[in-house]
Amino acid sequence: MEKLNILVLEDDKLAQKVMAAQLTGHKLDMAGDLKGALGYLGRDKYDIGFFDLMLGPDDDYSGLKAIKAAAEKGVYAVVVSSSDSEDIIDKAYELGARDFYAKGNEGSNIADIIRKFVQNRRLDAGTDVFESAFVTEDEETRAAVTEALRYAPTDLPVMILGPSGTGKTSLARVIHDRSGRPGSFVAINCSAYTEDLLEAELFGHKKGAFTGAGEARRGRLLEAHKGTLFLDEIGTMSPNMQMKLLKAIEEKTFHPLGSERAETSDFRIISATLEDPKELIARGRMRFDLFQRVQGYTLRLKPLTERPADLFPLIRHFTRGGRRLSFTAEARAMMQEYKWPGNAREVKKFVDLVCCGPEGRIDGVIAGRHLKPRGFAHAGATAAPVPAAAPAPRPAGGESDELYALAVKDGLQAALDKVAEEIVLRNLAENGGVRTKTMADLRISTRLLYSVIKKTGENGGDDD
Amino acid sequence: MTDEVSSKLLHDLRSKCSSLKSAAELYKDCSPAEKKEMLALMKQAASGITAALEKLASAS
Repeated sequence: MEKLNILVLEDDKLAQKVMAAQLTGHKLDMAGDLKGALGYLGRDKYDIGFFDLMLGPDDDYSGLKAIKAAAEKGVYAVVVSSSDSEDIIDKAYELGARDFYAKGNEGSNIADIIRKFVQNRRLDAGTDVFESAFVTEDEETRAAVTEALRYAPTDLPVMILGPSGTGKTSLARVIHDRSGRPGSFVAINCSAYTEDLLEAELFGHKKGAFTGAGEARRGRLLEAHKGTLFLDEIGTMSPNMQMKLLKAIEEKTFHPLGSERAETSDFRIISATLEDPKELIARGRMRFDLFQRVQGYTLRLKPLTERPADLFPLIRHFTRGGRRLSFTAEARAMMQEYKWPGNAREVKKFVDLVCCGPEGRIDGVIAGRHLKPRGFAHAGATAAPVPAAAPAPRPAGGESDELYALAVKDGLQAALDKVAEEIVLRNLAENGGVRTKTMADLRISTRLLYSVIKKTGENGGDDD
Repeated sequence: MTDEVSSKLLHDLRSKCSSLKSAAELYKDCSPAEKKEMLALMKQAASGITAALEKLASAS
């Protein structure tokens, strides 16, 4: 725990005792009256000041004067008072108070204030988060992430929007790491499970709850107790599952599959989706009440094409501690021109590829060799990339004849399935193997995607 | 009793009650020596609450 220099202005001996107990571990000065507080403020430098306002039964809110003095010295001034008049609250903020809490719940309030203060000071002091945990040099993205991190030490749910590969999972982890929550960060990609499996995964199950449940298993909700549950691709969850999750979020209790005993878990929700939640609601794919529960603070991460300044810092980040690369001007130009549809994840894969090559100096030939299969064409090619893994175009008549023959031989459904397979594989290749993106692009179910992958032996990439 | 006096009296009451509540929550985690000190302060606060209530009653 970071040791802080704290001043408390409190006339009541019992309240002083309570505050001292809550601030154990910090350097603490206790003033019983205004004169004492002003004296301390003149002599020492404080991080936080906790101020009572009415110092004695006949006092006229003299604590307000200490707030002004503290604010002028850069102290983070917090009022802890029984005053509930709007005038006094407004006046305290006008004089420089940063927070105002009612007396009587010091047990949780003081810890929250300290946690928020430490978190905000870290944010204000440096940009370390943007150099390793979430790499970006884009000013707009930095501002959005900084603002989101101000909500990290609260219980407010956070919703992260953005295309696949933009770092939604990384950001969720950063928010958890800065939340002060003692539990684990538990992530689950909702799109990777069928409805039944997702239910078992989230809520857990008893031994024998269903075929194949040879052992009892704790669900992710329990694993996230006192921590964070990160629900990626929340929009792919079935309406039925959304209802069950909503109930668990609201009540913080749930029943593992096959169990009659309710389990309790205190988890904070961070969710992510690459689709527009409002559109999901309009299309009936997301329950409005669940959306209301999980949206809290919402931020949108931009794709890499909209933050081109991040390309080389990301490459530096991915090669840190390993083989360092150098790029010729031609290679740099090609890389800047490329659209990186898979965003940071695709950059990582590109870096892995070139790092394994014989040359540490990457020229246009090497860069092109690895970008071309991704659909890069140097000569002013700014149109959508041509997928390397997509089937080669065939003459319209030939393709049609082939499908017609298949339909006559094996039935119409077989021909339709073949068309669907080709479209899915093509889109999967265009998305660098990111399955969630393909499901979103084509608006297809997990079941269809996985049946195509299984049938064709095509292996998609990992998901965000 | 003027509104201002009544308002200050009520503020004092709220303040003392809040401290008493917070102290009661902390009490079980205190060492024996701290418990003794805490009890003395809690009794003092309780007397203060009684005195404030009497003032309030006599004024109304």
